[in-house]
Amino acid sequence: MLERLWKSFQGTRLGRSIFRVGLPGSNLERAQVAISSFLLHFQPAKVNRRALKFRTTLGLGLISLYLFLILTATGVLLMFYYVPSTARAYQDMKDLEFVVTAGLVLRNMHRWAAHLMVLCVVLHLCRVFYTAAYKPPREFNWVLGVCLFLMTLALSFTGYLLPWDQLAFWAITVGTNIAGYAPLIGKKLQFMFLGGHVVGESALIRFYVLHVLVLPAVAILFIAVHLWRVRKDGGLASPAEPQVLQEELQPAQLPLTKTYGLMELARGTTPMVGLKPEEEVFTWPNLIFRELLLFLATVAVVLVLSIAFNAPLEEMANPVHPPNPAKAPWYFLGLQELVSYSAFWGGVIVPALIVFALLLLPYLDRKRRGVGVWFSHERRLAIGVFTFCLVTAVVLTVIGTAFRGPNWSFQIPWKPAAAATEGH
Amino acid sequence: MNDSSLRRLYPWFTVLGLLVGGLVVAAFYKDQFREWKEWQRRHLQQEIARAATPEQRAQAARLAVEIHQYVLTEPDRVDRCATCHAAVEDPSYAGLPQPLAYHPNHDRHPFEKFGCTICHQGQGRATTRQAAHGQVEHWDRPLIELKYIQSACAKCHLPSDIPDAPQLARGQAVFEDSGCIGCHKLHGSGGVIGPELDRVGATRSPEWLLKHFKNPAAVTAGSAMPPIGAGEADLQALTLYVMSFTGEPLSAYYVSMKTLPGTLAGRRLYEERGCPSCHSLAGKGGKLGPPLDQVAKRHDPQWLIAHFKNPQAISPGTIMPQFYLSEQETRALTQFLLSWSDTNVIGFLKTPATMTPVERGKAVYKKFGCAGCHGLEAQGGIPNPNAKTAQQVPGLKYVSEGYTKDELRKRILDGQREIVSLDPHKPPAPLYMPPWRGKIAEGELSDLVEYLMSLTPKGEKLDF
Repeated sequence: MLERLWKSFQGTRLGRSIFRVGLPGSNLERAQVAISSFLLHFQPAKVNRRALKFRTTLGLGLISLYLFLILTATGVLLMFYYVPSTARAYQDMKDLEFVVTAGLVLRNMHRWAAHLMVLCVVLHLCRVFYTAAYKPPREFNWVLGVCLFLMTLALSFTGYLLPWDQLAFWAITVGTNIAGYAPLIGKKLQFMFLGGHVVGESALIRFYVLHVLVLPAVAILFIAVHLWRVRKDGGLASPAEPQVLQEELQPAQLPLTKTYGLMELARGTTPMVGLKPEEEVFTWPNLIFRELLLFLATVAVVLVLSIAFNAPLEEMANPVHPPNPAKAPWYFLGLQELVSYSAFWGGVIVPALIVFALLLLPYLDRKRRGVGVWFSHERRLAIGVFTFCLVTAVVLTVIGTAFRGPNWSFQIPWKPAAAATEGH
Repeated sequence: MNDSSLRRLYPWFTVLGLLVGGLVVAAFYKDQFREWKEWQRRHLQQEIARAATPEQRAQAARLAVEIHQYVLTEPDRVDRCATCHAAVEDPSYAGLPQPLAYHPNHDRHPFEKFGCTICHQGQGRATTRQAAHGQVEHWDRPLIELKYIQSACAKCHLPSDIPDAPQLARGQAVFEDSGCIGCHKLHGSGGVIGPELDRVGATRSPEWLLKHFKNPAAVTAGSAMPPIGAGEADLQALTLYVMSFTGEPLSAYYVSMKTLPGTLAGRRLYEERGCPSCHSLAGKGGKLGPPLDQVAKRHDPQWLIAHFKNPQAISPGTIMPQFYLSEQETRALTQFLLSWSDTNVIGFLKTPATMTPVERGKAVYKKFGCAGCHGLEAQGGIPNPNAKTAQQVPGLKYVSEGYTKDELRKRILDGQREIVSLDPHKPPAPLYMPPWRGKIAEGELSDLVEYLMSLTPKGEKLDF
């Protein structure tokens, strides 16, 4: 029924002026949708049947992208109500809760989507590692991905300060102090982040500009290149891929087994025309529909969380009243736990090593084993090392979250130590 | 060709689509039924019921249900209490149950200028009952109980001078008599043995304060503060007065009420004679002469009176002209300046113009809170564990026996930080004599010495 409605709209002059090609009805049209549609041209005309299966990638990259879109949409709406000044910020958060229609749900959506995005980006990184999808020719895409991970953390951190409550103020104080532990450049780095020596008016406006303008613009650019590289590197990593793709292919080498409605001379290492098994299905509607379902599911999860749980808002930021303990945002708590052992080794060296190890990983591990296979037996050493690091990070984060009380003393979570309280 | 596996997914689309649609509706639905709308509708129903003519009824029916707020620019607040309490400005709603009731005497402090939370506290920006009354986590200024509401008056007015707040005046009197500022600083002046009191009304609850006055050691471990020996009613009044120390920044518009009515004449004179052309108060005025905000801390009242009479004689080389003021005018101006900079106006100018040095000295004794340690009648007796002076603060009745006037002056100015211990192995005594140099003016010091010397009962002689 929907199809009939659509077709009658398509028949009108108005419909034809907007949509140059109608809903695909034939295979030719389904293939053409990849180049005739602006929004869909970043997808190939056909995809491997493997890509349709949920367990291939768990859709984590897509979920991260959808969360980014949700964050952008809710973020813009929030920008209508928020002024990044220390006198206004906190009051605007209160106004969102009490005055703005659906303001509380809007704010909740932004916050829970942000936390989910950090989580999903990490899970996506793990998935790519465990399926060895960083191996050549996808090394640079992995690097782009790590940069996007760091940008996600930066976006979350800059946004964390904006409510200007006690939670925000002291988390950012802790975070920027950790940055200050770097040798030689640490204090200058901290000054650059804060626009001063303390978290104040300058820091707020600086973080705001980074959060709504600079970081999203750079992130969108990186996301675009990241997705483009997925296409150019031959789609999702698959065990059936040919191993060696470095040599330049000569046209004469290509087996002439298929024709496309588009003219593209296949040269170089991508795309992999004729090199992969032909288990392909049309992107439209098979992949597109599944992507749409995933989008609806993501939105549903974010909405459920936003209606059920309120984003926290403590007292207004008070520079002379630090909470004890003052904790960084959850994704930095593992780092803070490390810092509590040693500011230099834990706060500077270990994180720097982790980032460098991640960035250099595909250039260090070039053996083309186990690509596209979850937990391949051939890679058990690499998987073991990675899993160990991952579990350590999780354990440290859990300790920092639940097992640390006043003065960073060890405490059992269900028997919290009495914090220094005022008489009331 | 549609993959057959795709058809199996179609129902999911319907389910998820309906779910997302339902959730979006749910998100907005919560908004439609905010609790304040219910209260406003009841108010509007009252308005319709009270309408006398069909035109009025139609008018009342057209009134919108919307947020009502008072936006104050100077204390930077927004008070939305009238969203539920919609009839606060309508006297015909007097006596109705809250939140539909009228606020008595609302025209004295118009809401457009004062809002609600300046007096009642609570969270003005909120629009739910719990949150607006501040009874939620992360809001430390909940609604004041009505029995303590008078404490709010002292944020702008001088406590001793509000006819409608007798408890506040009583509280201030108890505060001054008990000599609290002998150990505690308030508004920059006082002793240093106990903590400052400037924000104690904002950080401690009234229940805590009351318990504290009755038995400080039970509430604060290791406190050397003696219990305040006063009756229950006096302690309630004291609690109410102390609650007014909130340290909230209020602009000059509000704080300018800190004057005694007698000083209104002084205030008028201050403006009429052109003092603001050279001097400033609360940042407003000229810069030729010094700002007068804290003048009472630097000079005692006699100095001020003498200075008005002849500025050149008191401050040689000054460019301040002679104003040839009458006695009344001089007193009024002095009173105005004193009340501006010293909220603890001791009754110097409430009493007759002429006082003997001993009487003035008694006022000084009270002003600096000596009673806090040495007792209301200078009898001593406050416990000071491990002090060699019989483990208590010594009385002052017999100082004339042990000190000459100069020695006494020196002792007051220098204080005595090290108190000799009874038992050197135990911790030293907590209470000590602070130095008053720089805090007490010369004239006050001589009057105080006269007073203390006069305390010795006549005809008695101690034998040592």
